[in-house]
Amino acid sequence: MEIALLLIVGGVVVGTFGSLLGLGGGVLLVPLLTLGFNLPLREAVGVSLVCVIVTSGASASVFLDRGVANLRLGMALELFTAIGALLGGTIAFLLDERLVAGLFALVLIYAATTMLRLKPAASEDVATPTGEGPTGAPAPAGRLMAGLSGPNYRVRAPIAGATGGVFAGTLSAILGIGGGLVMVPLMHIAMGVPLRIATATSNLMIGVTASASAIVYLLRGGIDPYAAAPSAVGVFVGAAVGSRLAHRVDVRVLRVLFAGVLAWTAFLMLRRAAGLG
Amino acid sequence: MSASRPGGTLEIRLAQLLRIGTYGAVILVGLGTALMVINGRSPLDVAPPLDPSRLVSDVLGGRPAGFIWLGVLLALATPTARVIAALRAFIRAGEREMTIVAGSILIVIALGVVAGTAGG
Repeated sequence: MEIALLLIVGGVVVGTFGSLLGLGGGVLLVPLLTLGFNLPLREAVGVSLVCVIVTSGASASVFLDRGVANLRLGMALELFTAIGALLGGTIAFLLDERLVAGLFALVLIYAATTMLRLKPAASEDVATPTGEGPTGAPAPAGRLMAGLSGPNYRVRAPIAGATGGVFAGTLSAILGIGGGLVMVPLMHIAMGVPLRIATATSNLMIGVTASASAIVYLLRGGIDPYAAAPSAVGVFVGAAVGSRLAHRVDVRVLRVLFAGVLAWTAFLMLRRAAGLG
Repeated sequence: MSASRPGGTLEIRLAQLLRIGTYGAVILVGLGTALMVINGRSPLDVAPPLDPSRLVSDVLGGRPAGFIWLGVLLALATPTARVIAALRAFIRAGEREMTIVAGSILIVIALGVVAGTAGG
C-alpha cells in the first residue's frame, strides 16, 4: 500500500516537471525507480517508457487542442526519433547496467548544463523572422520545409534535426527518457522553433518515440506491469497538471531549479555506475 | 489542398484520439493498481508476464495483471493510432510528403515488433 502510494506521488512530481519542461519525466523517473525503489535499471527503463507515453498522450492532446504543437514538424522529426528508438531498443538489452547508469549520469549532466546555458533572450517565444540561419546560410526552400514551418517562424537545419532525432531516439530507448532533452534545445536553438512550440511539439513526438522502443521492451519481457501501473497513474496526473500550468509559469526559474535536481541525480547515478550506490 | 493547420480540425481530432487512448489506458491501469492494493500485492512483487490468451479471463476474473496489461497495451497503441489517423487525413488531403512521412513511421514501428519478437 505504502509503496504504491509513494510511486503514485513520485509519478505526480516527475509528470508535472516533465510536462512543463518538455522532458517527458523519464529523466527523473528512472533514477527514482532505481535509486529510490531498487528496481533493476532495465526494468526501470521499461516502466519509464510506458510512463512517458502516458505523459506525452496527456499533454500533447492539450497542446494540439490549443494549436501550440506543430503536428507536421513533430511527425517529420519523429520518423527519425523512431528509427533511433528501434536501434536503441535493440542494443539496450546488450549493454551492462553499470554502463547504462554511467550514460544516464552523463545525460543528466548535459541536461543540467543545457538548462543553465539557455539564454533568457533565446527563451522567449520570439519568431525567427527570416529564412536565414545565424551563419547567413540560405533557408531550405522545399515544399516540405515550408509545410513544416509555422505562421510566425521558419524551420531551418533539417539535417541537424534528422541526425539529432536519431540520436534522441536511441538515447530514449536505452535510458527510458522521452527524447525531449535533446529535441527541445535542438528544435529551439538549431532549427529556429520558438521554445513554447518546441516544447509542445516535443511532447507530441515523445509518444511515438517511446512506443517504438517500448514495443521491443514489451516483447522481450522488459516491462514490469506492477511497477508500471502506479507510476503511470501518478505521471498521468502530473502531466495533466503541468500542461495546464505551462502558460502561467516562468519556465526560466523552473530551469534553474531543475538543473540543481538533475546535477544531484547525476552524482547518485555516477555512484551507481561505479558500484558504490 | 492540405489537411488542417495548427489548431484546426485534424489537430483537434488527433487530440481527441490521444485523450481517449490515454484516459482509457490510465483508467485500466488505475483499476489494476487499485486491485493490486486490495489483493495485498506490492508494486515490487514479481508480476506475471504478458500472455495475450489470458487477458480477457484475467480482466473478467478481476485480476490486477489483466487490467494493467490491457492498459499498457492501449497506452502503447495510442501513438500508433494517432499516426494512422494522421496518415488517413494526409492521403485524403493529397499531402504526398506527409503521407510518406507517416507511412514510414508506421514501417519503423512494425520493424520494432519484428525486432522485439526476434529477440524475445
